[in-house]
Amino acid sequence: MDRSELFVAAVVAIVVAVPVISGPVVGVVDLTTESMAGVGQGSATVDGVETPETGRFDRALSADHYVMEVPDARIHVAAIEGQPLVAYKISVPELGYSRGTTHFLSDDDTGWVTLSVRSETFAPERIERGSYEAELSLVLRVNGTEEVLHEGPITMEVTE
Amino acid sequence: MSPPDVSNESEKSAPGASAAVPEGTQAFWVRFARIRDVLVRVFVGDRLGLVVFLGVLAFVGLYWRVGFFINDNYTLANALVSLADGHLWVDEAVYGPGLETPGMNVRDGQFYGRNYGQVAFALPFLWVLQALGTVADPGLVLPMCWSLLVVALGREAGRLLDRPSLGLSVGAGLGLVAFATNVAVARPLDPGLFPVVALQSGSIVAAALAVVTLYRLLTRIHGHRVGLAGAALTALATPVGFWASIPKRHVTVVALVVGAAYLLYRSREEPSTEALLSPLGFRATAYALVGLLTWVHGGEAFAVFLALIIVDIPTARSNGVRSLAVVGVVFFLSMVPFFVTNVLVSGDPVRPPRMLRSFGSVPDTIGGGSGGGSAGGGGDSTGLWTTVVGLLPPPIAGAVVLTVDRLDILFGQFETGIRVLVRRPDRLVSVFVRGGDIGGVSVDNFYETIYLTVIEASPVVAGVVAAGAIGVVRIRDAIRRLFDGSGDAIGDRLSRLRGWTPSPAAVTDAFLLAAGVSFLVLYIWRLPVHAQITVRYLLPVYPVFVYATVRLPSPRRVLANHWRTGLWTWASGVLLGSQAFVVVVAVLSLGRGEAVQVHAFVGLAGAAVFATLAVATVFTDRFDRATAVAGGLAAALGTDFLLLSGLVYFQYGQYALPAAGWVADLLATA
Repeated sequence: MDRSELFVAAVVAIVVAVPVISGPVVGVVDLTTESMAGVGQGSATVDGVETPETGRFDRALSADHYVMEVPDARIHVAAIEGQPLVAYKISVPELGYSRGTTHFLSDDDTGWVTLSVRSETFAPERIERGSYEAELSLVLRVNGTEEVLHEGPITMEVTE
Repeated sequence: MSPPDVSNESEKSAPGASAAVPEGTQAFWVRFARIRDVLVRVFVGDRLGLVVFLGVLAFVGLYWRVGFFINDNYTLANALVSLADGHLWVDEAVYGPGLETPGMNVRDGQFYGRNYGQVAFALPFLWVLQALGTVADPGLVLPMCWSLLVVALGREAGRLLDRPSLGLSVGAGLGLVAFATNVAVARPLDPGLFPVVALQSGSIVAAALAVVTLYRLLTRIHGHRVGLAGAALTALATPVGFWASIPKRHVTVVALVVGAAYLLYRSREEPSTEALLSPLGFRATAYALVGLLTWVHGGEAFAVFLALIIVDIPTARSNGVRSLAVVGVVFFLSMVPFFVTNVLVSGDPVRPPRMLRSFGSVPDTIGGGSGGGSAGGGGDSTGLWTTVVGLLPPPIAGAVVLTVDRLDILFGQFETGIRVLVRRPDRLVSVFVRGGDIGGVSVDNFYETIYLTVIEASPVVAGVVAAGAIGVVRIRDAIRRLFDGSGDAIGDRLSRLRGWTPSPAAVTDAFLLAAGVSFLVLYIWRLPVHAQITVRYLLPVYPVFVYATVRLPSPRRVLANHWRTGLWTWASGVLLGSQAFVVVVAVLSLGRGEAVQVHAFVGLAGAAVFATLAVATVFTDRFDRATAVAGGLAAALGTDFLLLSGLVYFQYGQYALPAAGWVADLLATA
């Protein structure tokens, strides 16, 4: 057995052994911990919020339908511990529509943090007016409590 | 580049088989090596084939998401859970919103799945996974398999390139690094998802077999370089890679069609002592694959069967009683699983589960009249037909009516397809060239323009238009010869034609062409339709186009002289192009449908350039280098779509490789 064969044998042994060590029979360590553990726990101090005042319903690229574009919001995190959550949510009551994106913060997220809402597609017939009044909210969730960072109107303009 | 043919090299020394090893162990390794050699020979051909096979598995693993892509994936997964329990009826919706998912069929209040051939193929994978899951951490099973795959790939590639220890070290190094990275970001995998993983594994293995079979076929015709090019293009630049990890039938169907083409080719070669089967054996096995295809999808099997008999019978060495008996018996045997499944599901051996409800008007009792789902002939002929059948003895009449009914259903689809092709040839445009925002399609895709045509999804297949140019040139030359009188007299030519037997390659060309047309006719009436992404109904057409392109003389000349140019262009097109797509989509904050359309536009542009140059190569070799560049770019656009659709646009479930999921998360926040 030359050196490369020995190396291969060692690699194969490691690759096969590790899942067994972490497996249901041996289970000395659990290498596949649920990544959700600790999420939403900790604390955060937010001392600045910037939110957009207008968003858009744009005609989609080479199609009739609309794509909702909500500009990013920013929060200034002064201090943070653990993994708090921030929900960035838009609701358009006239369309009976709301959508939020939850962001997972982590220990190193201090200073300005950018939050976004994923763009969404709307059927052409759903958008009938030139603009819509919508509500924007930013909510911080820590240890099962909710802190409203921002709540206010946003105008959604329809562009052709 | 011509890798040595190593198919005949026998390997007696296996890892660990040294003199110090006790005899029992050595005997085990020798037997292991012998079994492995036979498996390699039967399924992948030679060592390069093995590298292709392992390479495809490793590539698809990169963007394998464990989960459900389309809602009828639930149907197959629930059917597999039931099959693993030992019965065909599905009594519990382990996955999904309930049992009433698309593709589920009902008989006497019992639910049944479909594509049972594919479900059965996944069963052994499920057993292995469950066995592994009892001792190994389920979340690490797939990373483990992938790393072992990379180690094996390095070993085989090293031997192929005559650098065995380098291959071993590189493969093991990469495998170890990949494994460590995966463990670092590992997540648990619910063992309850093993049936899904099993279906996906089966599909990925089928994809790898399809690609390696295409490699073997093209290698037999034109040598290793063309074989490798055809295989690489199919795996990396067509949607075969897109559907490989999705539990749908399409990739399995592709594997069986390409397999039938390969076996048909072998059946036309001169008999050789090297071959494992006689030409007749290969011929019968080609039919056997079509027989197995019935178990996966009856309608598509019929389409392939038509293509096979149309080409095989007129070109066969012999259609004597013995030959046809062998072929018939093997074909019948290969359909036994299909018959048995049908009897258990519908109570009728020739009525597959799909026909229970989807073809609602199949008569339940024999003699209930013909007609089926397709609008049949007028009332008068039906009356005459009933009279004729009435004269026959009842058992024969029953069989005749049943056969005619079923054939009517099967041919009905072809009839509709041909009618659509004649009346609405514009549909071909929205299937092959430009999709975009098609009425009725986008709506059902949740207003997302995620429908790509064949060329938008795989720009490189546009190279097939060179075939048209070659056809024109050949016809022109033939006419010119006819008028010059420079050619042979017509009488001579005709007499030569009489004794003419087509070459094995010509037979295979004809079969693949017929199979492609057959699929097109079968599905054109339903296309374009939603939930296709890449016209998945026509998935077998992509490898047929790739095959046709690399079979043409002028693209082959480009490949022979400029393959390095093409390869490097492809590599840069993948490295830079995929990043460019990510940046464009992020900067313009495009929605998913819009991002897919960006691929469509760029793909069409790339395809147009490549197609134009490919046509030019027929007339001159001045643009060969440019053609290689355009071909490399077109192929890269196909690869970019595979990678980005897998890692960015279509995210569902968790990634088989946690590290890939980590990359996908990074890209999502970019």
